[in-house]
Amino acid sequence: MKSRGKVFAWFVIILGMLYFFLPLIATFVYSLHAKLGHLSFQAYTNVFHDPKFIRGFTGSLIWATLTIIFGILLFVPTAFWVRLKVPKARTAIEFITLIPFVVPVIVFTFGLVRTYSHPPLLIVDSPFLLVAAYTVISMPYMYRAIDIGLRAIDVRTLTEAAQSLGAGWGTILFRIIIPNIRVAILNGAFLSFAIVVGELVLARYLVKPAFAPYMMDLIQNRAYEPAALAIISFALTWACMGIISFIGRGGQAQVGGGH
Amino acid sequence: MTHLSLNNISKQFSTNKVVQDFNLDVRKGEFVSFLGPSGCGKTTTLRMIAGFEIPTTGNVILDDEDITEKAPNQRNVGMVFQAYALFPNMTVAQNIGFGLKVRREKKEFIQTRITEMLALIHLEQKGDSYPYQLSGGQQQRVALARALAIHPQVLLLDEPLSALDAKIRVSLRAEIRAIQRKLGITAIYVTHDQEEALSISDRIVVMYEGKIEQVGSPFEIYNFPTTAFVAGFVGTLNTTAAEVVDPATHLLQIDGVQLQAAEGLDGMLKGDKITIAIRPERFNFVSQERKANILDCTIENITFLGSVVRIQVLVGSNRFYMDTFNNPFLELPKIGDKDQVTCSREAVLVLRQ
Repeated sequence: MKSRGKVFAWFVIILGMLYFFLPLIATFVYSLHAKLGHLSFQAYTNVFHDPKFIRGFTGSLIWATLTIIFGILLFVPTAFWVRLKVPKARTAIEFITLIPFVVPVIVFTFGLVRTYSHPPLLIVDSPFLLVAAYTVISMPYMYRAIDIGLRAIDVRTLTEAAQSLGAGWGTILFRIIIPNIRVAILNGAFLSFAIVVGELVLARYLVKPAFAPYMMDLIQNRAYEPAALAIISFALTWACMGIISFIGRGGQAQVGGGH
Repeated sequence: MTHLSLNNISKQFSTNKVVQDFNLDVRKGEFVSFLGPSGCGKTTTLRMIAGFEIPTTGNVILDDEDITEKAPNQRNVGMVFQAYALFPNMTVAQNIGFGLKVRREKKEFIQTRITEMLALIHLEQKGDSYPYQLSGGQQQRVALARALAIHPQVLLLDEPLSALDAKIRVSLRAEIRAIQRKLGITAIYVTHDQEEALSISDRIVVMYEGKIEQVGSPFEIYNFPTTAFVAGFVGTLNTTAAEVVDPATHLLQIDGVQLQAAEGLDGMLKGDKITIAIRPERFNFVSQERKANILDCTIENITFLGSVVRIQVLVGSNRFYMDTFNNPFLELPKIGDKDQVTCSREAVLVLRQ
């Protein structure tokens, strides 16, 4: 009975892996067929040599970096303050952080365009609006990751201990709280990165160079290069996950027994 | 000379009065414990000294300076928490040096102070360890060193031993007391453990429902409780209702049996109803020469508690505990035996309601 259960478990695992990896392998193999008759990395070379790719990818990198910085600066103090001073507001704040899941991005985008395309706030062309919009979209991931990180440490006692030793709010935040939730912040940061890099609607309608609109354009005109781009974006995501788990290993052990 | 003064302190959270009319003067170098059950306001009072709570009324004076409204990081007060509260991202040495670094002390001074503190808590080899690599007792010693490193005017300890096992608790409380004596620092210690408070303190403040019930030395608190709450909370106590027979001779009766107290009936009248208390260890079996305070009893139960044997006796309709040292060469009575117990006049405590 036991061995039959084990076989079934393995069957399900293999089925799941096939479901996930087969399309990926197929896409990868397909991307190698750019040169007629034999396998090559021609599609990848074409992508990397395309100035539009460089522009789109660099654009996404910049937006993602700014979104992460903005998100950390906004959500770490907020989550810290809510946990420390207004714990009763946590439910309301959690609800607010979920709003981007409920409102479709297209609706959100048109709302932004309508609101900010005429005076007194004519900022529809400003990169700041795009970064602010990305911060809102990535809020559920970033805020929740930080909140989970804060839940793992005794925020109140650590804060009070630091205060009794003479520390001000800046010292507490930058030398006590942030170092102890750095893994959570990294989790949120990489999730935000993935969201921003893969986001199409905002960049397209706010007319800013980005990776996803470039990929969309490529799909309409080329055959093998979009497949190469899909593999590149997967590799990028996995690299991010690898970095998270690598950095996360040391951090968990420290926080785990320290309070 | 008064070092720390709490004057008419009260604290109210919405309609809930957590601390009321709290007055206390603490001398320099004194070790004072706040003792009481959960929710009696002892931690809130400590937090008002630390600056984490602002009193609703009253003021906190430290070294002649009113610090009532000062932020916690502006007061020179060291605090040790129940949950250790060591910074997980820092080593033991970095934890100890944190307060000095915040104060922008010189590197050499910080290093010297860290070495001194590590020697004080006997953890010289653990400077480079992280908190998670230490036992609970070691972590609390580091927390103590960290609080002392900044040369605080007052050391506050909020149930620092509650999270530790019994054996370490006993050894660490002795260590805390020894360090406090050595440094001559004023310390306020919050606990709900009466044995801890009795063993460690110069003075104990017994609190109940936000108010001070009694302030006194451990000896006074244990032997001469002035209220029914203190008598019941500190140690085991037999309490019973009694009636005043003759206030002049301090004579009273319980269930028709007459008892004489040494004091406490001043201003009372014959027939007044009162509550009296007698510690279990103040009862003895009657010897030949004893004439007064003799109570006929029946042995109801005998419990062996190690160094002490607790005997439950029935006197009229009252059940009393009697403690006697465990002596393996002395024969104990048997359950159901009729006997007589007695106590001195001084053992009969008349309690204030």
